[in-house]
Amino acid sequence: MPTIKIKVWDLPLRAFHWLLVFTVLAAYITAELGGNLTDWHGRIGALALGLLVFRVTWGFVGSTHARFVSFFPTPRKLLTYLKGHWTANGHNPLGALSVLALLGVLTALIGTGLFANDDIGFQGPLFNLASKSLSDRLTAWHEFSFNVLLILIGLHLAAIAFYFFLKKTNLVKPMITGSKEVPKGLASQTTGGGKARFVIATTIAAIVVWLIFGGIVAEQLSPAHNIPANAAIPSW
Amino acid sequence: MKLKLALAILLSTTTLVASAGPIEDQIKTRQSAYSFMGWNSAKIKAQVADKPETYNKEQVITAANVIAAIANSGLGSLYGPGTDQGIGWKKTALKPEFFEKQDEAKKLATDFNREANEFAKVAATGSVTEIKDKFGKLSESCKSCHQSFRIREQH
Repeated sequence: MPTIKIKVWDLPLRAFHWLLVFTVLAAYITAELGGNLTDWHGRIGALALGLLVFRVTWGFVGSTHARFVSFFPTPRKLLTYLKGHWTANGHNPLGALSVLALLGVLTALIGTGLFANDDIGFQGPLFNLASKSLSDRLTAWHEFSFNVLLILIGLHLAAIAFYFFLKKTNLVKPMITGSKEVPKGLASQTTGGGKARFVIATTIAAIVVWLIFGGIVAEQLSPAHNIPANAAIPSW
Repeated sequence: MKLKLALAILLSTTTLVASAGPIEDQIKTRQSAYSFMGWNSAKIKAQVADKPETYNKEQVITAANVIAAIANSGLGSLYGPGTDQGIGWKKTALKPEFFEKQDEAKKLATDFNREANEFAKVAATGSVTEIKDKFGKLSESCKSCHQSFRIREQH
């Protein structure tokens, strides 16, 4: 069957994917080693937050297969896929479920991390908005969501292996090159995205990271904010 | 004679137990010790790592000395038998295997004491960068014990 090369994943999407791989690895290593690397865990958390906000924004303004509306797994689509009749390009409905689950767990992981503390010297950027006991519980949820993330990553890798060995389809290569060979009859156009929209999405991500990690949100909302910063510290 | 010996043994054991206090008191005291160390280490962290522009040498030295003093105060005697169960200010997070792995516990505690003492020295004489690096070593020693013997917070 004659095939044709089509574009599936745009460059920002691919960059997001591989940066996220790096981020999860680096976050795991810095958390396990502790010590002064804990501060790097926080910085990597800032990168992760930026990537997440970018991806969600890109889900609205990115190119065809990056957009949530194009791959949202409706029951009808899932049924078609499970019956083996799915032929469209981009995320298949089951893969789309996995993408949404991954993004959901990442949101929980990053969200709880913002309030976390390690009982030694580390506090997330929004720690002051929570009580210590709430922060402790959110820290526990942070660890729990990481374990859930590991399970999802395991499924993700298993699906890639399944496609590679049993369906003879390489899913990794398109995530690197952005394009894929498909039978001529199944060719489809990828539109949208573009430089201006990329700049907008990146700017939104940067602003969110800056507000949270720059301490602006916590400073404005923290109960401790009412105490004058220069209140004299008693010498006794 | 036998009675005297038995009495002496009984007395000495009760004294030992009494010196550490009832289980709840041991747990309460050690929880207090760690929170107070936490208050001091938070000050150090803020001044040498997060906001170096606020570095105040005297305050950092004082905080480092407090941590070293608590580390050297003999915290081990607050880990009497049965103190893996019980409520101090809150339920203890001590893992039961603490009592099965006494060698490891001793090693971790000794490492922590050494780091705390060395940190106090560096706080007194070192530069902010040196203090920060040494603080990293100290917090690693905190973490290694947390990982081995502290039950993770339940969500």
